[in-house]
Amino acid sequence: MVTEKGEVTAKDTRSIVPLQRFIRGYGLILILVAMTLIFTAIQPAYLGLDNMIGILYQVSLIGTMAVCSTFVIMTGGIDLSVGPIVAMAGLYTVFTLTDNGQLLIPGLFVGLLTGLVCGLLNGIAVALFRLPAIIVTLASMSIFRGVALLTGGSSVHQINGPPSFLFIGSGQIAGLPFPIFIFAGVALLMLFLQTQTRFGLNVFAVGENEEAARLCGLPVIRTRLLVYIISGVGAALGGIMLSSQVSTAWSTYGGGIELDVIAAIVLGGTSLNGGSGSVHRTVIGALLIGGMNNGMSMLNIRLEQQLIAKGLIIILAIVFNDKLLKWAEK
Amino acid sequence: MRNVGSLRKTLASANLGLFWFFVVVIIVFSLVSPVFRSGPNLRNILSGYSHIGIVAVGMAFPLLLGGIDLSVGSIMGLVAMVVFDATLLLHLPGWVAILAGLLTGILAGLFNAFLIIRVKLQPFIATLATLVAYRGLTYAISGRQINPDLTVVAIKDPLLLGVDGQTGQIPYAFIYLVIIVIVTMTIFRFTRLGIDLYAVGGNPLAARLAGIDVNRVKTLCYVLSGFFTAIAALVLTSRMESTQEGLGGGLELSAIAAGVIGGVSLKGGIGNSFGAALGAFLIGTLSTGLILIGVTGYAPQVVIGVILLIAVGYDRFTVARGNRNWLRRQKHNAAAISSATSQS
Amino acid sequence: MSNNIVLLKATKLSKQYGPVLALDHADMELRAGQVHALVGSNGAGKSTFVKILTGAIAPDSGEMLINGSPVSGDTKAMLDAGIACIYQDSQLVPALSVLDNIMLGRQPTRRFGFLDRKTQRAMVMALLAKHDLQLDLDSPVLALPPVQQKEVEIAKALSLNARIILMDEPTAALSHAEVEKLFRSIRRLREQGVAILYISHMLDEIFEIADQVTVIRDGKVRLAVPIAEISKKTLIETMLGQELAAESRATHDQSQSTAEIALECRGLSKIGLFENIDLQVHRGEIVCLTGLVGAKRSELVRALFGVDPADRGEIYVYGKLVKIRHPLDAIKLGMGFVPEDRRRDGLFMNLSVGWNIIMAHLSSVTRLGLLSQGAIQTVGNAQVTDLGIVPARLDVAPRTLSGGNQQKVLLGRWLTGDTQIIILDEPTVGIDVGTKANIYGLLHRLAAANKAVLIVSSDIEEVLTVADRVVVMAQGRITGNFDHTQVSQELILRAASGEVL
Repeated sequence: MVTEKGEVTAKDTRSIVPLQRFIRGYGLILILVAMTLIFTAIQPAYLGLDNMIGILYQVSLIGTMAVCSTFVIMTGGIDLSVGPIVAMAGLYTVFTLTDNGQLLIPGLFVGLLTGLVCGLLNGIAVALFRLPAIIVTLASMSIFRGVALLTGGSSVHQINGPPSFLFIGSGQIAGLPFPIFIFAGVALLMLFLQTQTRFGLNVFAVGENEEAARLCGLPVIRTRLLVYIISGVGAALGGIMLSSQVSTAWSTYGGGIELDVIAAIVLGGTSLNGGSGSVHRTVIGALLIGGMNNGMSMLNIRLEQQLIAKGLIIILAIVFNDKLLKWAEK
Repeated sequence: MRNVGSLRKTLASANLGLFWFFVVVIIVFSLVSPVFRSGPNLRNILSGYSHIGIVAVGMAFPLLLGGIDLSVGSIMGLVAMVVFDATLLLHLPGWVAILAGLLTGILAGLFNAFLIIRVKLQPFIATLATLVAYRGLTYAISGRQINPDLTVVAIKDPLLLGVDGQTGQIPYAFIYLVIIVIVTMTIFRFTRLGIDLYAVGGNPLAARLAGIDVNRVKTLCYVLSGFFTAIAALVLTSRMESTQEGLGGGLELSAIAAGVIGGVSLKGGIGNSFGAALGAFLIGTLSTGLILIGVTGYAPQVVIGVILLIAVGYDRFTVARGNRNWLRRQKHNAAAISSATSQS
Repeated sequence: MSNNIVLLKATKLSKQYGPVLALDHADMELRAGQVHALVGSNGAGKSTFVKILTGAIAPDSGEMLINGSPVSGDTKAMLDAGIACIYQDSQLVPALSVLDNIMLGRQPTRRFGFLDRKTQRAMVMALLAKHDLQLDLDSPVLALPPVQQKEVEIAKALSLNARIILMDEPTAALSHAEVEKLFRSIRRLREQGVAILYISHMLDEIFEIADQVTVIRDGKVRLAVPIAEISKKTLIETMLGQELAAESRATHDQSQSTAEIALECRGLSKIGLFENIDLQVHRGEIVCLTGLVGAKRSELVRALFGVDPADRGEIYVYGKLVKIRHPLDAIKLGMGFVPEDRRRDGLFMNLSVGWNIIMAHLSSVTRLGLLSQGAIQTVGNAQVTDLGIVPARLDVAPRTLSGGNQQKVLLGRWLTGDTQIIILDEPTVGIDVGTKANIYGLLHRLAAANKAVLIVSSDIEEVLTVADRVVVMAQGRITGNFDHTQVSQELILRAASGEVL
């Protein structure tokens, strides 16, 4: 049975592959371009440079976090605990800044370390104890939020500098807001990890076929640990960016952000079953959401209608992309 | 005797360990804190967590299928807003408002089922999208925004206000929950639907081969999830005599946590509504109790997370133990084989 | 009584898949009160036959008569006609009770969908009493031992008024004692005039339980006789075919196999699976590990490679005692492993062929900590050309390749590095004849290059063709160890059925 099936497909592979590849690689970009054209046709200012920069600025926070969480989903896991990590990282960065005479580096170090430790804990439960990721991170979401509230109280903590810290969220280089550089840098770094390193290949392999990966001698447990650590550090970076942007830290920051992060990844076409997906697709997914929000605001669509549209567009984009792929494979 | 047996089985399937843990928690808090064992506190716990219990019972249906419904929080907000509009904006009678609310919940569940069955989206993604969309719809129809004066107007319809209340020390919400648990447990144990549901969740292929209409069962599960959420929304609307657009935010995670703590497996096919309700109250009792014995107000969240981890860890541990038993049996078999071969 | 009435008569059933004729004018008669065994090696056409009987697929030609009237149609139509199948995979819902599982989807109800428990219980009790089955109706299925789960499936089939029950490898998950218990149930069914089609690899069981046997090979019915009229030897010969490929006999020079032992295990045991295994594989030698299904050969090689490590015993590589707790340990020692289920355990179906080949030896293509595309191209292309993988490209996904080419990709994975000891589990199952010959040729080349090759194979023809030495396992023990000069089919089969030689 295998043979005859194989022979049929083997013959066609040559002709199918380029188109399929094209659609796999660019189907989403087509959707992004179509959306941009529609918005521009209705409101030409949409395509203006300022607005484009605005969109990038708006998506940089979610985008950074989503890019860092992509590996988790590629391994078939999920990280619901990024929200409270945002809050904790912001708080501890600010605490360290105040305690250490406003020195930037220790603050950042403590903030990112928070994310690392949180991610490590998730990773241990998922990779070592083999507990289901959705429950582990649901639990740690509750635990981390509790810890954030216990340590940060219910009051808003004002940030009084240093300027170098505030620069992270609101500074500009060459007319571009600094968060865009963070987003771009993190995305490039992750893309590099994914495409150029053994770790990136391990992520693919573990997500697609864990048993085969083990038989190839790949470090399955270490890979799973690392993806949760990266997700945690990404969330912490998001927390630092947020706190710097609004110059406050608060134990309730990041509530519900996990779903936005997952939406960006899923919209990029990464399957929740693992084994597929890519960092650049998540970037496009984040841009789609950002462009959508921005365009609808420009068209004076009210917030509530935006939310409805967002839900429906997510569904449509996923279904459309899916259908396109199936059609291409035929 | 049969009844005792079935009660025992009910407890067992809802995780007997959990039940005793719950009893111990109550006893310990009662001994440590006089306030905890006071009537008013008991009432607080009952009224504070019954609606979460109701939503958790609804969530148990998709979970038993191996699915999930992330949109319950948004459905709650939407239903509450429909009721709010019906009575304060449109001045419809209370019973119409209640019916409209329930219908909204059913339709929201139906749309989820449509996305999952017809559009073939994964339940997680489908309900993630409707989580956003239903919340948007709530803002869109918000009577508070259409007529800002209404934000300070309380609902006065007696029927609506009568939805929440108490007899003696027992809040209505808790009575609803008890009725819902009894009804759903009856469905689970005594109707075709219940058996079909476990079959679809436990072995979808076998269910299909046995001629069960899998899509009908799935649809019903998501509809029930919406419906029970609507009941909880009515309770809250009645209690607050108003609503807000953000009502129910984050509720989905509490409901899932309650279900998992109550022994409902996320893989489907195992668990029941009694467990889910028990899970909700365990969360409630722990949270309240910890605050009362002087742990700061935020510790409960940590504790709930830890309990959730213990619950799922315990589940894994019992599976591992099951495997060990299986191995022991294999060992026994191997011994039997070797003795059989040495004889021949 | 009702015995010997023909319940099902299938004539000239044919089914073609692409170029392959999976079933070729097959005839069969199932009689009431008979256990009819269906045997054949992997890919002989048994499963196609079963699928036609259950209505899962439709035959291209031929007809089926049940009680003299023609039947055709989907699974439901076949069920209604009285054919039920007990599959290898459980069709039960673990958390539900025996009572509910037996009547799943057909429970009697009263108004509002309430279950009529009383009627249901009475119906099931009557059914069990009639067929003399004893089951705890209220126990959830997951709490039952495997043999009782099979009995629940039998009861489920009977409750459908099935007169013909197909059983696909029903003893696969059962212990020795449990098999006896199942056989008692089957004999009772026979007495009650049920026709049973019994599909199994276990020839001993067939001689114990069956009345009639049909042998299929290459889609054709080769033999259909009462079991009493046939010897085990003839049965096996019919199953395998006579054309033993003596001409494709070993092409590498035996004298090359050196005395040096590459891989050895002593007293290797794993509870409930295998016990006290001593095995040696020399350099330049091809050792075939054979036996019946359930002899735990795969389990043994998986332990050797560290996939599921053994509990006790020692493993030596080139005479040095080693610890292999993880596949990585084995790979570092220069071992390679091609698993039995290449789709499930071997290939990454969505990654490219290039990645699949290089996956176990990533360090060889890592430059300064980064993966070098150039190195991957070089290494991968060498394998693709060398192995003749079609299409000869590194950038296609393996799921688009044929089974034979997929297997070549997996072989390429181990030929890439400095693999000295290669273990293959059923390397040619589901692979066409041409590629099979390629793979045999390759194995001989490996042995000629002084590598040690250990093959798990159930295909006796294959074993006789490629092996320098044949080791036979039965029920978790080694029961035979033959040089290729002395080995014969008969010896292998005697050892495989548990006789210690």
